[in-house]
Amino acid sequence: MNVFLRELRANWKALFWWSFGMVLMIYAGMAKYTAYVDSGQDITAMMNQIPSTLRAALGFGDLDVMKASGFYGMLYLYVLLMVTIHAALLGATIVAKEERDRTSEFLMTRPASRARILTGKLLAAAVNVVVLNLVCLGLSVAVVAQYAHGEDLTSDILLLMGAMLLVQFVFLFLGSAIAAVWKRPKAAASAATTVMLTTYVLSIVVDVNKNLDFLRYLTPFKWFQAAPIMRDQAYQPVYVALAAVVAVACIVATYVGYGKRDLYI
Amino acid sequence: MNVIEIRNLTKSYGKARGIIDVSFDVAEGEIFGFIGPNGAGKSTTIRTLLNLIHATSGSATVFGKDCRTHAPEIAREVGYLPSEVSYYDRMKVLDLLKYSASFYGKDCTKRIHELAAYMDLDLKRRIDDLSFGNKKKVGILQGLIHEPKLIILDEPTSGLDPLMQQRFFELLRQENAKGATILLSSHVLDEVQRLCGRVAIIKEGRIIRIESMSDLARDHYKKVGVEVGPEADAAFAALEGVTNLERKDGVVSFYYKGDINAVVAHLAGLRIRNLWVEEPTLEEIFLHYYQKEG
Repeated sequence: MNVFLRELRANWKALFWWSFGMVLMIYAGMAKYTAYVDSGQDITAMMNQIPSTLRAALGFGDLDVMKASGFYGMLYLYVLLMVTIHAALLGATIVAKEERDRTSEFLMTRPASRARILTGKLLAAAVNVVVLNLVCLGLSVAVVAQYAHGEDLTSDILLLMGAMLLVQFVFLFLGSAIAAVWKRPKAAASAATTVMLTTYVLSIVVDVNKNLDFLRYLTPFKWFQAAPIMRDQAYQPVYVALAAVVAVACIVATYVGYGKRDLYI
Repeated sequence: MNVIEIRNLTKSYGKARGIIDVSFDVAEGEIFGFIGPNGAGKSTTIRTLLNLIHATSGSATVFGKDCRTHAPEIAREVGYLPSEVSYYDRMKVLDLLKYSASFYGKDCTKRIHELAAYMDLDLKRRIDDLSFGNKKKVGILQGLIHEPKLIILDEPTSGLDPLMQQRFFELLRQENAKGATILLSSHVLDEVQRLCGRVAIIKEGRIIRIESMSDLARDHYKKVGVEVGPEADAAFAALEGVTNLERKDGVVSFYYKGDINAVVAHLAGLRIRNLWVEEPTLEEIFLHYYQKEG
């Protein structure tokens, strides 16, 4: 409990600035939508001229960006990218920082097992991730309503944010697992973001090259894409299961790896 | 009863040497010195005891419990002052100490304030504003506020000014008098000599000697100085067990190892003006071991 509270206190400022950043991003993003619509030009036609590869890379593969829902679906990818960077960084640093800042010798000689300390840290990180998700959710509902022109997007947003939470957890625990298993605490955060961005690039590669479609199982960015979720109003169970399996495997790796290894002092 | 029992502890870091086959016991209530130069393996041994790193082979118990499997239980009764102190920079001293205390489930507030006053430490300052010596004081406090039964100190006095060193040693003596066992690792031999009853000497990862301070000194060279006319020099040189014989300012000095009665008998026949027989300092003993076996 003390570790949990300590980590909440240590992270609240960062969480505030991340939330602030997300507010700006969603607000500015949706403001741009009005600019599109108000320009009066037929942007759809222009959009259709963009090669499908580029469309995929920019995140609006099959979305009708002239509709608020379609535009939000495109914006969602960028929101997702930001919050997963947050999650991966947080997961890696919350574990690695004791070694990075040379405080592990203090913390790990207290009467608490490494597992107990990890639990406090991971719970605090999970709270941070959920809070950031709720900020995005609340803001999306509020901002999108202004531009929706009668479209009701609340259920879409709820579904997308639910999916986003799953992906956030996958990357949070991937980050913590990297920091726990790997013996180089100073490099853990950059390693976690590298892995995360690699999966993002992979998701674009899969979009662009249909022959590589089987690789979609390797990148969480392909598991919960806006277009199919908004169309089906549901997730594909196989990906929910996959996300759960990866998250649990990473949690296990975090505990086992951190419990076993020598601390870097 | 032994508080610490270390048996054939070995820790290797890949190709680099850690410690090899280290064994020693620390009995309840004693102040045990662990001496050796930098890099000899003192910190490695201590960190293994504290479960920060894991031994390659061998075992160690603290309070009769395995140091790896029962680490949290053991930690409840252990106070540890690391050689390099580093804490959460943005925390205030008091907050850090309270955070530390929160792990032990007892109220340490009174003791925090007592010890801070005694060690002259400002509890309201932020950690990153503190000098190295003051950070060390924070380290001392976090190691002692929960009144541990075993105190492990790794190079404790580096960074402390002489006055604070003295206060700190006084504090340790008080804790020891109250029943705490102390393991003190150091390369400052003077402080070990002042505090410890027994010492283990570690060299290149191996324990080369474990002995009580008094035995270590007794079993060793004595330094003898005799103020006497130059006619006696040849006789001293002939005495068995004499080394490093030299004459300076009218004083013959030499190291002597053997039955002291032989020297006394020899001196009885001389007309001497003054006489000194000194125990060697730990430093001299230590250098002796290092040079002889180096």
